[in-house]
Amino acid sequence: MFYREAGQYKTTYAADMAIFPIRQDRWGLALILFVAFVVIPTFGGPFLLNTMMIPFLVLSLAAIGLNLLTGYTGLLSLGTGAFMGVGAYACYKLATWFPQVNILVWIVASGFVSAAVGVLFGLPSLRIKGFYLAVATLAAQFFLQWGFARAPWLVNYNDSGAIEVPRATLFGVPVTGPSATPVTRYLVVLTLVSIMAWLASNIVHGRIGRIWMAVRDMDIAAQLIGIRLLNAKLLAFAVSSFTVGVAGALMVFLWLGAAEPEAFNINLSFEILFIIIIGGLGSIVGAFFGATIMHLMPIALRALPAMIGLPIEAARVEQLTFMITGILIIVVLIAEPHGLARLWQTAKQKLRVWPFPY
Amino acid sequence: MTGASDEILLDVENVSLSFGGVRAITDVSFDIRRGEIRAIIGPNGAGKTSMLNVINGFYHPQEGRITYRGRTRARMKPHEAARQGVARTFQNVALFKGMTTLDNIMTGRSLRMKRGLFWQALRHGPALAEEIEHRRVCEEIIDFLEIEHIRRTPVGALPYGLQKRVELGRALAMEPELLLLDEPMAGMNLEEKEDMSRFIVEAKLQRGMTVALIEHDIGVVMDLSDRVLVLEYGRRIADDVPDVVKADPKVIDAYLGVGH
Repeated sequence: MFYREAGQYKTTYAADMAIFPIRQDRWGLALILFVAFVVIPTFGGPFLLNTMMIPFLVLSLAAIGLNLLTGYTGLLSLGTGAFMGVGAYACYKLATWFPQVNILVWIVASGFVSAAVGVLFGLPSLRIKGFYLAVATLAAQFFLQWGFARAPWLVNYNDSGAIEVPRATLFGVPVTGPSATPVTRYLVVLTLVSIMAWLASNIVHGRIGRIWMAVRDMDIAAQLIGIRLLNAKLLAFAVSSFTVGVAGALMVFLWLGAAEPEAFNINLSFEILFIIIIGGLGSIVGAFFGATIMHLMPIALRALPAMIGLPIEAARVEQLTFMITGILIIVVLIAEPHGLARLWQTAKQKLRVWPFPY
Repeated sequence: MTGASDEILLDVENVSLSFGGVRAITDVSFDIRRGEIRAIIGPNGAGKTSMLNVINGFYHPQEGRITYRGRTRARMKPHEAARQGVARTFQNVALFKGMTTLDNIMTGRSLRMKRGLFWQALRHGPALAEEIEHRRVCEEIIDFLEIEHIRRTPVGALPYGLQKRVELGRALAMEPELLLLDEPMAGMNLEEKEDMSRFIVEAKLQRGMTVALIEHDIGVVMDLSDRVLVLEYGRRIADDVPDVVKADPKVIDAYLGVGH
């Protein structure tokens, strides 16, 4: 009823091509941003920020990155975890070499390192497709993870063999390391993730996004209209790995605070892949939906028994969470193979014409 | 039809193509003049689609020369052919099924859009101006093809006749010099065929495109085309204006069969 576009006439192509052409959507977005930037940091405790929101945002960003590659360009990758690792190690090396430079610069710069590595491992994609490409990226996953564990140079030869995040400040406020407050870290992550989601959304709505989707849907016809497949695919690998790499750097520097090579194992790759499958392939907002299901829902399930006063052991809660999450994933996939983003679209469409659906 | 000039846009000389032991095309020569509608007809398996594939670089002939716009070309990839102004539609529609009609046609403009990743990511300034400029061109094509109502529909959900129309739109969006149409009217009813014929003629007259089309509907071919090439078993059996081709005994034999 309140979600109506009647009376909102577009008089220019610019207005018609806006990413949120409907006024209510723009208000909704503004409300979400207000809650995220003002309400949550003001009223949220360390648990909400540290355990829920920061990981949620980091995983969403990684999922956006993978979605550019898998959802938009149709190239399946199982190496996301390793590319996040590349970003994290690159950021660590850069930040320890040049500690005087602003840490945000290095977080973004580490994305470029990850992009270069992504392009390297994307080279086979011109020749191989589908499952075979997935296996090639799987090789990247194992090779890179092996490299992280075998090269002490990556962690500056420290005894623990792990990345230990140094202390860095932004305008005098500590943003990384033990002295940074959850609110500061949350705001930094939120800002970066918002900007990158906005940029990704712009890219997929323009020429480059259309080229990627053309390659995904029908590569022969794409060549025919003058698209060079190798360039398009490598660009997808580069932009995707850049985003994933930044997510990796954020994960270690602003969420975990320290990380061993195991942190970037195949489970992380699969988690990101599940996020985009559940959230919706080929959708930016889907990445956030998927991360909600994969990260926030298990936390809610864990908290539920305690809230309604059920005395259950922690281990059993853990198992139950696994089972319920698994069942939900299967249900979502059967009910809507295009993911939650498609459900969201359908719901908006229904709401738009309600109560007269003709 | 008139409007063809004497300038030869594409010259195919003694082209032969084989796949292993199978000869698809044997020693075929013909030319396409600028501004004409050139039909290629023949029974199934005559090598018509193979000929289009040779022209736009999907197949590389073992023998023969192809001269396009006065330049004899070596092996050419399909994306290079596109850059030189050759557009193409397919017998079995080859659209981007997950994308809307508008996005499909906009994709046809990709080559003409220049702004790089940086501006694209910002979607402001030059990138937005460019997007709007090309959107205007695409809207003209959408108007021309009378597909305004399906602008936002994913093409995978469209009926066959409309998909063919969107595919033509995507080819037109490239503003090609040479438009290759592989059975643009296959599986259409009379009304749809009339619409499609009108679009093809207008593409030639208003947009100055040269058209080469494969079609099985002889009535349409005779009405539309300036000259007709007839292939059978990969060989050229006739090449002339429609009226002459229609009366050629070899062509009649090829279509009706001949007593041995």
